[in-house]
Amino acid sequence: MKLLIVEDQAKTGQYLRQGLSEAGFSTELANDGETGQFMALTGDYDLLILDVMLPGRDGWQILKAVRDAGQGVPVLFLTARDAVEDRVHGLELGADDYLVKPFAFSELLARVRTLLRRGGNPTQETTLGLADLRLDLIRRRVERAGQRLDLTAKEFALLELLLRRQGEVLPKSLIASQVWDMNFDSDTNVIEVAIRRLRLKIDDAHDNKLIHTVRGMGYVLEERPA
Amino acid sequence: MPRLSLGVRLALLFAACTAVVSLVAGILFSRASAAHFVELDQQLLSNRLPVLQRILDGVDSPASLIPRLPALKEELAHQTDLALRVRGHDGTVWFASRSNLPDSADQTGLTTLQAEHSDYRGLGVQLPAAQLTLFLDITHHQHFLQRMQRLIWLTVGLSALATALLGAWAARSGLRPLRRMGEVAAGVSARSLTTRLPVEQMPVELAELARTMNAMLERLDDAFQRLSAFSADIAHELRTPLSNLLTHTQVTLTRPRSLDEYREALHGNLEELQWMAQMVNDMLYLAKADHGLLMPNREPLALHGEVDALLEYYGALAEDTGVALVRNGEATLAGDRHMLRRALSNLLDNALRFTPGDGEIRVSIEEREDGIRLEVANRGEPIDAAQLPRLFDRFYRADPARRAGSSEHAGLGLAITQSIVRAHGGRIQAESAAGWTRFIIELPAT
Repeated sequence: MKLLIVEDQAKTGQYLRQGLSEAGFSTELANDGETGQFMALTGDYDLLILDVMLPGRDGWQILKAVRDAGQGVPVLFLTARDAVEDRVHGLELGADDYLVKPFAFSELLARVRTLLRRGGNPTQETTLGLADLRLDLIRRRVERAGQRLDLTAKEFALLELLLRRQGEVLPKSLIASQVWDMNFDSDTNVIEVAIRRLRLKIDDAHDNKLIHTVRGMGYVLEERPA
Repeated sequence: MPRLSLGVRLALLFAACTAVVSLVAGILFSRASAAHFVELDQQLLSNRLPVLQRILDGVDSPASLIPRLPALKEELAHQTDLALRVRGHDGTVWFASRSNLPDSADQTGLTTLQAEHSDYRGLGVQLPAAQLTLFLDITHHQHFLQRMQRLIWLTVGLSALATALLGAWAARSGLRPLRRMGEVAAGVSARSLTTRLPVEQMPVELAELARTMNAMLERLDDAFQRLSAFSADIAHELRTPLSNLLTHTQVTLTRPRSLDEYREALHGNLEELQWMAQMVNDMLYLAKADHGLLMPNREPLALHGEVDALLEYYGALAEDTGVALVRNGEATLAGDRHMLRRALSNLLDNALRFTPGDGEIRVSIEEREDGIRLEVANRGEPIDAAQLPRLFDRFYRADPARRAGSSEHAGLGLAITQSIVRAHGGRIQAESAAGWTRFIIELPAT
């Protein structure tokens, strides 16, 4: 997966590049609008991350040039301004997502992964699983080591999300948004409680823990060597 | 039309009024005196007539008139301004005591006539064989009337001028409180918002205006105080985590440490940073609201459904602390789902934080004719009535000891809720009574 970041703030660009590279993406960085547009039009990228305010050409102009060239590559905007018109303008031009600074890197990473997945074929799985954990989407049943687990609807939805995006660190805000449709930063420990309850049912009776807390970032479902 | 000052306007108005009044008075007086003269003249002429008639009794031709002329002239000599003319019915003049008397034809009764240099009042009488006309020279009367008219015009002009000047002076002194008001207003700046107009010293008419202006200054002062406090609070709220970050990072870097220690240090920093980012985002949201950019994307909503979703969201957390969540009532409205969820979430979050264990949080929805009333009530410590409205102030915390660095809100939650409610055209208030704290949202019918 090849990503292009167009960001004129040297530090921001550098940190983003490092973070995304370490998350397993091949990442290139342009520091101004002209270079960014040239690279976006000539390189073969899977995703563009554009800052709106850029010297030379702004993010919108680059997006327009890219769309005019007939490229359907997903575009994620970063901006320090959060005016409704800006958002509308960006979406009208064909941006796929929009993040307002300051944002958490985990949030950006989750959005990048969502955008990249959107391009691929949606998987038609009927069951999801990790290690000895099985989730049956049709019969809405969950088993761990052959034992049937009794989950509430929201716990089921939470586990489904963790399973679908296993190995990814999911920030609390993303979980709140995807499972409860709460699209704002609520800084209560609601998600912590929900995860604790899910853990109680999934992990407590087993040595092989699957749900892990990544401090300050979020939660991840993965198998870790003991 | 040129813009006239109030003083000039009033002066002109006064002058015009005086001119009209004195003109009317003058005209009435002039008419009255003219009428009075006519009356006097008539009286005089009528008094003289019988004597003259007696003298002329039996005259039927110019010849028969001659013997009576001496008596006639003697009678006329008593009054020098009196003249007489006798004419036959055929129009020939039998006798005229003066030359160039005006031609009065055959009129009978009193008339005012004009000759070359004089004005006369004429009284005509029919004698059996002739017509007698008595003339009274009224030139001096007419002169008097003309002088009086000139005098009247002069009075009108002078009194108008005088009242204009007096009026200008009066208006000027009358408007002095207004000027003082202007001076006070001109002196008001961000630094002197505490200036107030002296209402007691104002005339009754201006006192109301002064009170209104004072109220405006009060509001401005209040808003400005809040703004100043807000800026100061931002600095304060950011200072604590920033100072933590600086200290923590510098201390960590003073000597080599283990990997775990570095990780721990970064985690500590991350928490502070996340808290700060959250605060900045909340503040940007409020700034947007302040600039009227918080535009609800209205869609038909079942409010009870939204409340239920939120109660489900907070359900596990409430269960952990032993707090029961209850919802009563239903209502539908056109509102922004995300915004309303955020607003209600802040209220529930707040309620959860202040409800003791085994407590209860009740959300009551009521659909009324004029709108929707939503109440979030929780059992909790009573709040001082004076503090209730301040709960919606930014960074306000009922307990000042609870400050930055904790994992809690920066004290912007209720301010955000208020902004959202206002963006929906509603209002929110807090009540505290009988061990219950209530937040009441009233939304207008859409």
